[in-house]
Amino acid sequence: MFDKKLAGGLLALVIAVPAYAENTEINGTVESRCIIQTDRAGTYANPNAYTLTTSPTDGGEVARIRVDVTLADAYYVAITAPESFSSSPVLPDIATFSGDTEVDAVSDATGMGSYETNKTELGMTDRYDLTATGSTWFKTSSVATMGGSKAFPGGNYSALVTAECIAQ
Amino acid sequence: MQKKPLLLLALVFWPCYSYSESIAPYYGYTGNAVADQALRWTMGDILPDPPGLFVDNVIYSYNIQKNVDDTVAVTVFNENANGTGYIFRETDEWKPGSLAGTAINKVVPLGRVHRDLFGLGGIDVEGPGSITDPNVVYTYRIEPCYDPQFDPNCPGYEIPVPVMPEIDYEIYDAVAEGDSDQDEWEPNEEYSDEEGLTEEELAELEEEEDEDRKERLEEALFEAGRAQLFALALTASLMKDAQQISLNSYFEKTIQGGTYDDTVSLKDVQLPDNKGGLRNGLAQQILHQEMVDMQYNKGEQ
Repeated sequence: MFDKKLAGGLLALVIAVPAYAENTEINGTVESRCIIQTDRAGTYANPNAYTLTTSPTDGGEVARIRVDVTLADAYYVAITAPESFSSSPVLPDIATFSGDTEVDAVSDATGMGSYETNKTELGMTDRYDLTATGSTWFKTSSVATMGGSKAFPGGNYSALVTAECIAQ
Repeated sequence: MQKKPLLLLALVFWPCYSYSESIAPYYGYTGNAVADQALRWTMGDILPDPPGLFVDNVIYSYNIQKNVDDTVAVTVFNENANGTGYIFRETDEWKPGSLAGTAINKVVPLGRVHRDLFGLGGIDVEGPGSITDPNVVYTYRIEPCYDPQFDPNCPGYEIPVPVMPEIDYEIYDAVAEGDSDQDEWEPNEEYSDEEGLTEEELAELEEEEDEDRKERLEEALFEAGRAQLFALALTASLMKDAQQISLNSYFEKTIQGGTYDDTVSLKDVQLPDNKGGLRNGLAQQILHQEMVDMQYNKGEQ
């Protein structure tokens, strides 16, 4: 026999069973607390036919990079002097590069004064642990020498200094 | 089409713009405060003159010169002009490991500190080291309404009232104390009685009093005459001033118009004799003659 009570209970159960799935997103934005800016672009001077240099004594100008950190002990900066030209005329031979990066100025003598002595050098890349908040100015020099003492062809030469702020 | 409303809108907002510009704070910065190796400076030589000047920041830089193993402390400061201590003091401690030639660029925010609080400025170097290329710059804001009387739009502005000078003049008072040689009269003063004096002495005393009375009367009349003369001179002066004012106003009058041409002209070439005049003249002549003749007929009458 048809039981009305049972049928009503089943109906209610069937109605209640369907479930809705929902995926909720969680969004977030992390603002970098390390900012790198070009404070001054460098300039190559040409003291002799086979040399390009940023040395001020030869009329060149070193590149200057500013790194601002608002969180201490969270980043290190790796600055790599140029290892090749990013643009240049066709070269008659291979140019060899040398370069160096140094701390030029700091905003906190106590916290940043030893950045230069504590840096790690790996080839053309210098690594600095940013242990204090504030601004640090780095200067990068570069020298390009044409192989075989050949002359650099006339034209425009450009090279890039790479600076990266990496979270530790 | 839309130009008219825009123009009207611009006209409406133009006075607001002018208003805000005249009393709005403006900003500036000084040159390098460090002028010599003494590393000391006075703010009066650095900051401009306006009284409503507030220093916001101090920006300084220098290169440290030291051995890598040494510790050197460099302090940039300004003394508190209104007390002891400092209004601003920033110390950089260069620890072992920091290299010679490293520069420091630092911005020290001060908030809003009035210029009067800034005393002597300087840089102290403690330890085996020195600094090169020091540069200290102050950034400031100038608030024109620091003195509310700077502009009528400033809050607290009061319409200036000219200070009336107090002229110390004396009005002559003939009866004032000390203006005459008369002795001061004191109502409560009791006169000494004249008892005990001989008749001769009394007569002499009375005679002296009479003389004194005459002198007092003479002096009083003299003083009254001076007062009258003064009043007359004052009246004459006032009348003269009044006359001078009216004369000035008379001279200031201007007559409208330029040239006034003659309007009467004689048209006839020959003017006829005035017969009425001739008759009158003749009648007068006859009358005169009759009067002259009458004197000769005096005996006959």
